[in-house]
Amino acid sequence: MSDTIELVDKLLADLKNIGGVEACIAASRDGLLIRATMEKEQLMDSLSAMSATMLGAAETAITQAEKGVPNRVIVESEHGKLVVVGAGSKALLIVLAAPNAGLGLILLELEKSAKKLKDILT
Amino acid sequence: MVETGIPKLDDFLDGGIPKGKSLVYYIQPGVEGEIFGMQTIHSTLKSGGTAIFVVSSTIPDIVKGQFKEYGWDIDPYKDKLFFVDSYNPLIGAPSNEKYVVQKPDNINDFNKIILDIIKETPPGTIVFGSLSTIMDLCGEKETIEAVKTWNKMAMVHDHVMVYNFTAWPYSRETLELIQGDLFNAVISIGGIAERVIFGQYFGVLKSDWAEITKKSMLFRVLRPGGVKLFIPKILVTGPFDAGKSTFVHALSTRAISVDRLGTTIAMDHGHVDYKGFSADIFGTPGQERFDPIIKLLSGESMGVFLVVDSTNPADFVRAKHMLEITKSYGLPYVVVANKQDSSGALKPEEIRNQFNLPQDVPVVPVVAKDKIGVFEAFEILIDKITGGA
Ligand SMILES: Nc1nc2c(ncn2[C@@H]2O[C@H](COP(=O)(O)OP(=O)(O)O)[C@@H](O)[C@H]2O)c(=O)[nH]1
Ligand SMILES: [Mg+2]
Repeated sequence: MSDTIELVDKLLADLKNIGGVEACIAASRDGLLIRATMEKEQLMDSLSAMSATMLGAAETAITQAEKGVPNRVIVESEHGKLVVVGAGSKALLIVLAAPNAGLGLILLELEKSAKKLKDILT
Repeated sequence: MVETGIPKLDDFLDGGIPKGKSLVYYIQPGVEGEIFGMQTIHSTLKSGGTAIFVVSSTIPDIVKGQFKEYGWDIDPYKDKLFFVDSYNPLIGAPSNEKYVVQKPDNINDFNKIILDIIKETPPGTIVFGSLSTIMDLCGEKETIEAVKTWNKMAMVHDHVMVYNFTAWPYSRETLELIQGDLFNAVISIGGIAERVIFGQYFGVLKSDWAEITKKSMLFRVLRPGGVKLFIPKILVTGPFDAGKSTFVHALSTRAISVDRLGTTIAMDHGHVDYKGFSADIFGTPGQERFDPIIKLLSGESMGVFLVVDSTNPADFVRAKHMLEITKSYGLPYVVVANKQDSSGALKPEEIRNQFNLPQDVPVVPVVAKDKIGVFEAFEILIDKITGGA
């Protein structure tokens, strides 16, 4: 067990090292916090729940419109960005980034990390 | 009897640790287990007992700081709590504690001090902050022999002996003894990464005074707060307008909802801290158009509140259907008979009949908007989830 947790922590720490990334969370598809780079457990708990809801709703919406499955959900505001990507059928990854962070590199790395997370959890 | 102070564990142990008995917290490396011994010290002090804490892996001042972090004020207990310092001598620093083990790598030095304490102090709780550290310094065989003597002497002198032990890769013989014959009770503390539940649990591996329960409890360590039982997900579901969001907010220490035009369109999420439990609450929307999302989000629940509007039996069919969508059959669930303050509200027993509910499904009368009955409902569900007292 500690091995799996270590691997997830490493993956999140690497992701967090990318410029502009402020926090990363691994959560389950049904909204439970797995691990996060930030200590604020309460905030992480509700972020996990809400991000799973957003991705779930996006998935339902776009498949019902027969437009395939969503690659990611991106939320942009004046004060920051939130990106949610699926990581296999069980998990998802959430990144909180600074408002001026470039999404190009972040999205690229996020895809790679999502694949890794999927493998770690299977 | 000394209570361990760990929620639920005292129930499992028929009330706590009887005088003269020994107990080991057998901790998997990497798990936050050392707090268990500290929580038992705090519990001893709170109930007026005397406690001795043998500190081996850090200086006593740091341990005192940790008590503060957990929110346990030890200042009022200056004449009830004593430290055995076996760390400062190791690093060549002076010690201010009443008992000091001058040669912490020599078991005879420990022996002399511990036996003195056992013989000369009134019956109390003696907690070893880290038996594994003593073992590392003094040797496995030597330490085990000493522990045998301490436990015997403590039995005669009516002390309660508690050990934190981290199960590093010691010899098989040592680990088997520790899980087996050396102590009257063994509490195993470990971690799990099962599906998506990453957490820590404890369970009773052995106890020679209480019948052992096979159940393990998930826990979290809160600062302040200490060891709290952790329920990662409780689902709140039920028809539109039944009072689900109101219920989640009434129960939660803090909660958020995604509402538009007065109704929940995504979910409610709340966190409850109550009587040693720490639980996360997920509330679903009620209308059928949200069913696909409800399905997605209700996985991994450990229990369910089914909220119904007691004045609106027409909705009971939908309520039952929601148990199906959330795959809640088979999980412990409690029916929350809400809006008991409204005229025409059906009584819980009438609801049971209309619903055709089995007798073992509790129907709890609630007025969510006035927080009446919500914690009763919570306690009943928690009891069902944790397998009763
Ligand atoms: N009379 C009464 N009304 C309540 C009670 N609990 C909730 N309500 C009301 O019922 C309505 C629906 O509540 P809400 O929590 O949004 O229901 P939800 O759709 O199940 O989330 C609101 O107008 C609440 O004020 C209660 O205990 N008694
Ligand atoms: Mg609602």
